[in-house]
Amino acid sequence: MPTLKQLAKREEKFLSGHRLCAGCGAGIVARMVMLAIDKPVIVGNATGCLEVASTIFPYSAWKVPWIHSAFENAAATVSGVEAAYKSLKKQGKIDKDVVLVAFGGDGGTYDIGLQSLSGAAERGHRMLYVCYNNQAYMNCLSTDSYIMTKGGLKKITEIKQGEQVYAFDQKNYQLVLKKCTGVFDNGIKPVYELKTLHHSIKATDNHPFLILQRNGRGRKNSFVWRTLAEIKPGDEVIVLKNINPGRSAEFSFTKVTTKDYKVNRLNDVDIPVSSSPDLMRYLGLYVGNGWVRSEKGEVGFALPENTEGREVLIDLHNKIFGGNLRTDKVYIYINSVDLARFIDSLDFGKGAKNKTIPRWLFTLPLEERESFIDGLMLSDGYKTGNSCRYVSASSELLSRLRALLQITNYRVGNIHWQSKEKATKCADRELLQDAKYGYVSFSKRGKWNTEKYLGQYRYKNFLIGNKYFDVEKVKSIKLVGDEPTLDLRVEGEHNFIADGIVVHNTGIQRSSATPKAAHTTTSPLGKVIPGKVQFPKDVASIMVAHNIPYVATSIPGRWNDLVSKVEKAISFDGFTFIDVLTPCRLGWPYEPELTMEISRVAADTCIWPLYEVIEGKYKLTYRPKEKKPVLEWFKMQRRFAHLLRPENQELLETIQREVDRKWEVLLTKCGR
Amino acid sequence: MKVAKTGNEAFAEAMRQINPDVVAAYPITPATEIVQLFSQFVADGLVKTEFVAVESEHSAMSACIGASAAGARAMTGTSSQGLALMWEMLYIAGGLRLPIVMAVVNRTLSSPINIHCDHSDTFGARDSGWIQIYSENVQETYDNLIQAVRIAEHPDVKLPVMVTTDGFILSHCLETLDILSDEEVQGFIGESPERPNLIKSLQENKPITIGALDLQDYYFEHKRQSAEGMFNAIKVIPEISKEFAERFGREYSFFEEYKLEDADAAVVVMGSTAGTAKEVVDKLREEGRKVGLLKLRVYRPFPAEMLGKALSGVRSIGVMDRADGMSAVSGPLYPEICGALYDVNGKKPVIQDYIYGLGGRDVPMEDIRFVFEELLRTAETGKKEYTLKYIGVRE
Repeated sequence: MPTLKQLAKREEKFLSGHRLCAGCGAGIVARMVMLAIDKPVIVGNATGCLEVASTIFPYSAWKVPWIHSAFENAAATVSGVEAAYKSLKKQGKIDKDVVLVAFGGDGGTYDIGLQSLSGAAERGHRMLYVCYNNQAYMNCLSTDSYIMTKGGLKKITEIKQGEQVYAFDQKNYQLVLKKCTGVFDNGIKPVYELKTLHHSIKATDNHPFLILQRNGRGRKNSFVWRTLAEIKPGDEVIVLKNINPGRSAEFSFTKVTTKDYKVNRLNDVDIPVSSSPDLMRYLGLYVGNGWVRSEKGEVGFALPENTEGREVLIDLHNKIFGGNLRTDKVYIYINSVDLARFIDSLDFGKGAKNKTIPRWLFTLPLEERESFIDGLMLSDGYKTGNSCRYVSASSELLSRLRALLQITNYRVGNIHWQSKEKATKCADRELLQDAKYGYVSFSKRGKWNTEKYLGQYRYKNFLIGNKYFDVEKVKSIKLVGDEPTLDLRVEGEHNFIADGIVVHNTGIQRSSATPKAAHTTTSPLGKVIPGKVQFPKDVASIMVAHNIPYVATSIPGRWNDLVSKVEKAISFDGFTFIDVLTPCRLGWPYEPELTMEISRVAADTCIWPLYEVIEGKYKLTYRPKEKKPVLEWFKMQRRFAHLLRPENQELLETIQREVDRKWEVLLTKCGR
Repeated sequence: MKVAKTGNEAFAEAMRQINPDVVAAYPITPATEIVQLFSQFVADGLVKTEFVAVESEHSAMSACIGASAAGARAMTGTSSQGLALMWEMLYIAGGLRLPIVMAVVNRTLSSPINIHCDHSDTFGARDSGWIQIYSENVQETYDNLIQAVRIAEHPDVKLPVMVTTDGFILSHCLETLDILSDEEVQGFIGESPERPNLIKSLQENKPITIGALDLQDYYFEHKRQSAEGMFNAIKVIPEISKEFAERFGREYSFFEEYKLEDADAAVVVMGSTAGTAKEVVDKLREEGRKVGLLKLRVYRPFPAEMLGKALSGVRSIGVMDRADGMSAVSGPLYPEICGALYDVNGKKPVIQDYIYGLGGRDVPMEDIRFVFEELLRTAETGKKEYTLKYIGVRE
């Protein structure tokens, strides 16, 4: 095994100038593998990042003979090179000893290339196959999605089997309630964001959406299901614009007495028993500018003098709650334990960054929803003509507001984020510190005289007369990265409404529409994170089962591990395989300088244990001094951001248990 | 030397005599025998070949590509579904300009599944950048494969070649043929001419990259160069045929003209049906009717200009297509024959297409006679009666 100094003196065979991303693991792995081989070498490469970025004609980053033919056949192609080499050597046409190396990504190795890999391994061609495994995934909706249910708007992660969700009745184009009969965790997959003018949703490329198919004038239009991959900008998806009139919310709040609460005097207020437009406008102002300190029994509003909201709030307060309030130049204070506790019980969240819109608000009557939006606008809104803009530091508040606006007959733009420096004016106030603010713009839908020219409008907008649904053109579809995904199964209509858009439930993914979507109980795609509900394909073990002389796993972050394994592999006369966990800074994503570190943490957490199997005998090549919790690895990558939220605690624990189990199994195989 | 061999045996024998460096193949009916016989040659040490018993046709072509790119003379054989599974790799072999030679036994494509002959498998691969040579009988099957090596490796061509024979009709039919001695074959094909390859580049320490990403700025030029290789083959194929004729006495061209010179009506036909059709021509000639035949041997490169000249004197032409176009103008051959004859010497012959023999449907002499009767009638009237007719089918 050469030292680092000796390695540094070797001639580079994979040169700079390639166009891989900064911090790309694949380039590092290719370079290390090539440096480790101190012999004449011929390389075969499967189609993929490494190939595309390193050989853009007329340039090549390879200072060795190199061949690429297709995606799924690197092993077969190199087996042909090996056969040629053997034949020519027998004939005395070449005298050198040549090392043959095939590089494949996880797709070209685990999935489409598995047959070719298996064939070459079984035939025992003398070559080293290096899988630069950057974990690509497929298939569903991002766990960011909001689902419209009978009980209001819920995150997809909150949906339970048996719950009533809203669906699109494909016969009568009506809004119907259907029972959700299953929730499926589909693991981490690349998701795409589909945007229309007023809606956006994140889903995997094989998730089906309901598309309006225009069959030409005079012919009946129809609806068809298309997967995201088949949808093009300009296609029309079905969106929800309104839900049932709804009912006022009822509150059962028990007032406290001086016995319960040890203060001398309770500022006695009236607590309403149900929601009303006035109360909702008041709460709108609260969400924008209010705070609650329930321990002190204080409710406050930051509404300076000369703002419209200040007077409205004082009026509303007197009308609804009564009781005393105190004002100074900027703030309004109400010292009332009951009021504080009452507002607390409504689930609006606390603190500017964590405010939200509770799910019950989504089922209120239209008028109450509009009053709430009014109240919000009086607090942190701008109005220019018909166009409104609402500013907030809470991303959840903004995305839920967006969903609320969408079903309250507003046109809604995307959420935009901007950073502002201290003292810039924002919503009539100066910022007290540097801050990141998001805003969402919206406006009332114009009134179309659909009575007069219904036919014409109907042609333009097929669902114009529909009370609940509308069609919207798709503006863009963009890859946004890997995210945890979930999907629902819904009885009857087999669809549901996610982020305001009608989407198909999970059933179809098992049909011929999605060839790669064997996504439920098995996880056939190339992934390595153990412990998902669907377990990854253990290709290293599959290769061990081929009885080849050498199989190993490695990472770029431990150069001596990778280099020594490559050296060992090429010393065997036969087919050898090294599966290298190769961080992908765009896909995972993380900052480019963390590539090596992330790969090391994968080994330290035992998510990617490092071992080798020589002639069937397992040997652990790296035993972490202290086995870190899997969370340590997940938190380094943005694709796992959702795993860190409290609602996913259970999922995280499941993963940890599975990693632990596999680690134990591996230790046993290695003789502990 | 006269021997009796089936088409498959003739292919295998020719491969043994060519003695390629690498053969990677996977068995498929009706080409299985080629692989079986050849692996026996390997087992018996009769060839120097590295035989790669791959796990699929896709890998067979992939391994041939790897081997050929590494500088080896690589061969394979397949049929029908196997060829279809290779599809992706056919274009890559063509695009990388690798002189791979493939023995193809023509069999129809599923579905419905059927193991018998028609030309739909290789017709489909017509634009893949492969030279295609069709055989009428076992003798041609043998001779074509030997010539294919020279054509593929010619420095002006450098393209893969597939030689076809009709499934079962020829592949399993015992015929007498004249085979050459091993020395004669080796003397004819010679050493593979030098071309850039992986192992040579390694030996000379001047590494090359094969199969780079070709974007908008180069792809078109490289495709154009491949087409140029095809155009060059139009010159090269007759040179090689001539040399073959000089050495061994059997002459081949792009096509064979049979009693065509003064014919009023003629059929254009490929593969084994040409043999049957010649019989019909002879019978009709005995009856004093002026009929002839053109047997197309080389389908790619398509010898349009030569065909135009050869057929320009014929008043009525029937194109025999052993593959369907599924609602295209006709079968695949007809439009190309029309193209070749369009506006040649200001003449406008009647041209009609006959789709026949799909899935190995027998082609009796009566069917061909029926075609000639129709052609002679249209030759008289000068009026085309239809573009496409299916013959020998219950409808």
